[in-house]
Amino acid sequence: MSGQSKTMDTDRPAAALGAARSAADLVVAIAADANVAGFSVKGPRRVEGRVDAASLHSFASALRTRVGFEHLSAISCVDWLADGQFELVYHFWSYRDNCLVSAHVRIARDSASMETITDLWQPASFFERDIHEMFGVTFQGNTDLEKYILTDWAGPPPMRKDFVSRDFAHDHFEFKDYEPSWDDLVTGGYHGSRGVAEGSNE
Amino acid sequence: MADTELTQRGAWNKVIANLKKRSLWMLHYCTGCGAVELPPTMTSRFDMERFGIMPMVTPRQADILLITGYLSVKTLKRVILIYEQMVAPKYVVGFGSCTINGGMYWNSYSTIKSLDQYLPVELFLAGCMPRPEAIVTGFNALIDRIDRGEANSWEDYYKNYDFYHKNQLHAFGEIETHHDIKSDGRYFGIAEAQR
Repeated sequence: MSGQSKTMDTDRPAAALGAARSAADLVVAIAADANVAGFSVKGPRRVEGRVDAASLHSFASALRTRVGFEHLSAISCVDWLADGQFELVYHFWSYRDNCLVSAHVRIARDSASMETITDLWQPASFFERDIHEMFGVTFQGNTDLEKYILTDWAGPPPMRKDFVSRDFAHDHFEFKDYEPSWDDLVTGGYHGSRGVAEGSNE
Repeated sequence: MADTELTQRGAWNKVIANLKKRSLWMLHYCTGCGAVELPPTMTSRFDMERFGIMPMVTPRQADILLITGYLSVKTLKRVILIYEQMVAPKYVVGFGSCTINGGMYWNSYSTIKSLDQYLPVELFLAGCMPRPEAIVTGFNALIDRIDRGEANSWEDYYKNYDFYHKNQLHAFGEIETHHDIKSDGRYFGIAEAQR
């Protein structure tokens, strides 16, 4: 690992840190260069902490340009129903340090809104679009928040905790009274509750 | 019963049914997880071809539409497009619990629960998943039904299109299908489609 990172170092511009990097060093670097405190070491390659919604964009920008985290792995969303909050988790990965930084952002659940980071990472548009569809979080500045997977969906954002999928399924879809006998299944005599095509056989 | 059937349908229809039942092309369109049971059914161990059933890549030449598992509303739209392209007689086989009553996705917001609300199903294969033995049994049942001239569920789509269309509208709204069901029904000789 050390040999690989050395060769990669020669290919890339020097970042804020020296050659010897650990997760603890990165926490110090994040606190100094990205100007956010409260990050802690979770493991040899895991750094985690909370960031204010207002300062996330500047934090991500500094993390990318100054500390060298150039890959946005994912944005995930957690619905804390009791707290009335959404938690957005931004996962940043550094190829040089092989380290993952998770930045947790809490936003209000009512009229949930967040600043976009598509100007820093264009692929963030997909994550934001997905979260907008599944949780109803609006990302300010993202111009492409169209339907993504649920193209014909008219209901509420389905991944919210207060959306009860079972109730929706029972209201929206029709279940059949299904009590087959094995004889019917083997001979293919079962046609559903409606009695399809009865009398069509001459 | 066989004798009266013979006189009613005529010997020629009997011959046609006999030819039809041994030359079935199954559309190679797989949804959900049930498709994993098809390779053993197709290949040497269970060898579907000994019954005259082979996969086909285009809906125009296919006879069997096998719905192998859960159908999301989005996939159902594509399945409707495919089904309407198929030329009659055509047989929809609902494969697995999901097509019967939702299966393990019974409380999902995005999968349909009963396939026969949207398409006329000829045969259901119960199980999660049905083993190749069950698939072979099901196909044999289908072959028997074709032989007896009873596999006419597809006509129901043209007779009761209003019912299916209403459910399709409820699921995903209006789509452009490129097929006029009434004229297709007339072409296939469905008397009810004349109206």
